[in-house]
Amino acid sequence: MVPNRGQEMGVMKELREHIECINDLLARYGVRFGLYKNGEFKEQLFPFDPIPRIIPKAEFDHLERGLVQRVKALNCFLEDIYSEKKIIADGVIPESFVFSSSGYLPECEGIHPVHGIHSHISGIDLVEGKDGEWYILEDNLRIPSGASYPLIARNICRRVSPGTFSNNAIADNRDYAKMLKEMMDYVNTGGINVILTPGRYNAAFFEHSYLAEKTYSILAMPSDLYVENDVLYYKDYSERPKRVGAVYHRISDEYMDPLTFNPESVIGVPGIMSVYKAGNVALVNAPGNGIGDDKGIYYFVPKMIEYYLNEKPLLKNAPTYLPYFEEDRKYVLENLEKLVIKDVAEAGGYGVIFGKDLDGEKLEEMRQLIQRESRRFIAQEVIDFKDLEIVEGGGTVERKADLRAFVLYGKEVKVWKSGLTRFSRNPDSFVVNSSQGGGFKDTWVLSR
Amino acid sequence: MGIISVVKASNLLWLGRYSERVYTTLQVFSQYYDDMIDHNMTGYEEYCEKLSIPSIYTGVEDFFDRYLFDESDPNSIVSNLTRAVDNAIMLRNEISSTTLSYLELALNKLKRIRNSKTALFEIQKVSDYMLAYWGCLDDYVLDDECRNLIKAGRYIERLDLYLRLDFPYDTIEREFDKLMGRLGRVHISYDHRSSSRLHSIIMAGDPERASRGQALECVNKFFEGF
Repeated sequence: MVPNRGQEMGVMKELREHIECINDLLARYGVRFGLYKNGEFKEQLFPFDPIPRIIPKAEFDHLERGLVQRVKALNCFLEDIYSEKKIIADGVIPESFVFSSSGYLPECEGIHPVHGIHSHISGIDLVEGKDGEWYILEDNLRIPSGASYPLIARNICRRVSPGTFSNNAIADNRDYAKMLKEMMDYVNTGGINVILTPGRYNAAFFEHSYLAEKTYSILAMPSDLYVENDVLYYKDYSERPKRVGAVYHRISDEYMDPLTFNPESVIGVPGIMSVYKAGNVALVNAPGNGIGDDKGIYYFVPKMIEYYLNEKPLLKNAPTYLPYFEEDRKYVLENLEKLVIKDVAEAGGYGVIFGKDLDGEKLEEMRQLIQRESRRFIAQEVIDFKDLEIVEGGGTVERKADLRAFVLYGKEVKVWKSGLTRFSRNPDSFVVNSSQGGGFKDTWVLSR
Repeated sequence: MGIISVVKASNLLWLGRYSERVYTTLQVFSQYYDDMIDHNMTGYEEYCEKLSIPSIYTGVEDFFDRYLFDESDPNSIVSNLTRAVDNAIMLRNEISSTTLSYLELALNKLKRIRNSKTALFEIQKVSDYMLAYWGCLDDYVLDDECRNLIKAGRYIERLDLYLRLDFPYDTIEREFDKLMGRLGRVHISYDHRSSSRLHSIIMAGDPERASRGQALECVNKFFEGF
């Protein structure tokens, strides 16, 4: 059976009936994420909703082509920007726009990662408008997290309601770890694969440890790694050093190597950048990718696709304005109350301000701030994106939801036939981030 | 896999210790509590003394509640189980999600039954999960070195607890042999003088409390350098 949207509720009945059982299993497997509140670390279960997002095959095929195209273009941009900078010379992106970005790391100039791949794992956030059109909201090319949650949730749902999966044509999403391992093996320079976590008290530690288990990688803490003669080693407790060939790091670039970036970092590996520069280890994702997912650079991605690939973009950006440009600034200042303003330096749902929520005084303050620091903000039209049903109090209610699609770049560029659907639990909110109380759903891609 | 960092080796050893502490103290607690129901109403004081934990409890019911369930009491069983889980979480890809899940189940169950009227009965489920966890370790932990480190932690903890709780010397001797068997198969440094002395004390089979104290000293020094 191929469920259409009208049939969704019937298909979901069994999963809904067993929500308690699903939640017990999620707790059993420790599916949590961490939060810092008032300086204190707390872990909590990531709220799961049993009603999945369903994407018909034809729709996903289109998304897949658009996502592959986008990630290829972004990768070309990253390779170009840290080498020849042709896109600047040709006037497609203003020079000052690149070099004023905190995501641009001069330390990465001239480094060519293995096989020219910069963004091995891209998390592309999309929303589906009420008109059925998908819009890209942002690109995450540094350490996009979240794949492990639908991965384990699918395993659990299949056990709780096998009939749901035998009676419906749902693409199996449990190949994510295999895709990840293949990609890591492809870029590996010789040695073991490690997943480098900042530690137990990182918000996504569950994911780090789960993916390490599923990809047969070693889960390493920064203190487990050391550099000798431009080679990276893993320290074994019996002093048998193991050469490391690929590091899937879950540490922000600026903390990766105290000898290159922030000297006060205690979660980095001293000298790892010199190993990387020498081509003796693959870093997944490559340092310096922050320039590619800068919220300001996002505006230029459709232009990048045309510039590097000579193709028309298949997926749309949300209508975006850069106050940096005079014409856009004028529009933003005149229409602030109907736009959403994003601080380009923030992430995780922070720094997002809806003009409609500001009173007259605050609107005026915002206008002045935008005029003073025009490069710091982007403005977007508020997309009336499609609500998804979630289970609440025995019934269902509609909430805003987005989709994080995962694109893996190894020998080929592949889109995972699933994704993390995050939803807001607050009826008045568009913010779906887990750090702000959001929950998640499985994402079913139909296979026919 | 056979690749274990210093930190993980420590996690493995402590996982063995804390999970054994939870399992054994649950069993012994049940025996003591049974005696406290209608015979020895202050039996918990002796229990605390033997384990060298402060007797902060105001009575049998307070002991039952706080020793089992109080997360703010560092000596409670729930605190020891939390520490076991904390170590296990660091070791997901060494011990597998399946093995880890039994510790999670045990902890979730223990937390959930605090206010249950049938808590004493339901504790059995926690012990069952602990046994399933030990079974999983044998089946799912494919790396011998990882398993041996956990078991070394388990047997050193058993020696500690069995000495404190007056288990017979032949039982203690058996645990000592198991410990030494595991230590012969891992690359971990331990205090050979303490091990020889402990062996002598155990072999002498002295039932005096004083010799148990000396044996405990040896146990405490065993992994001092690790």
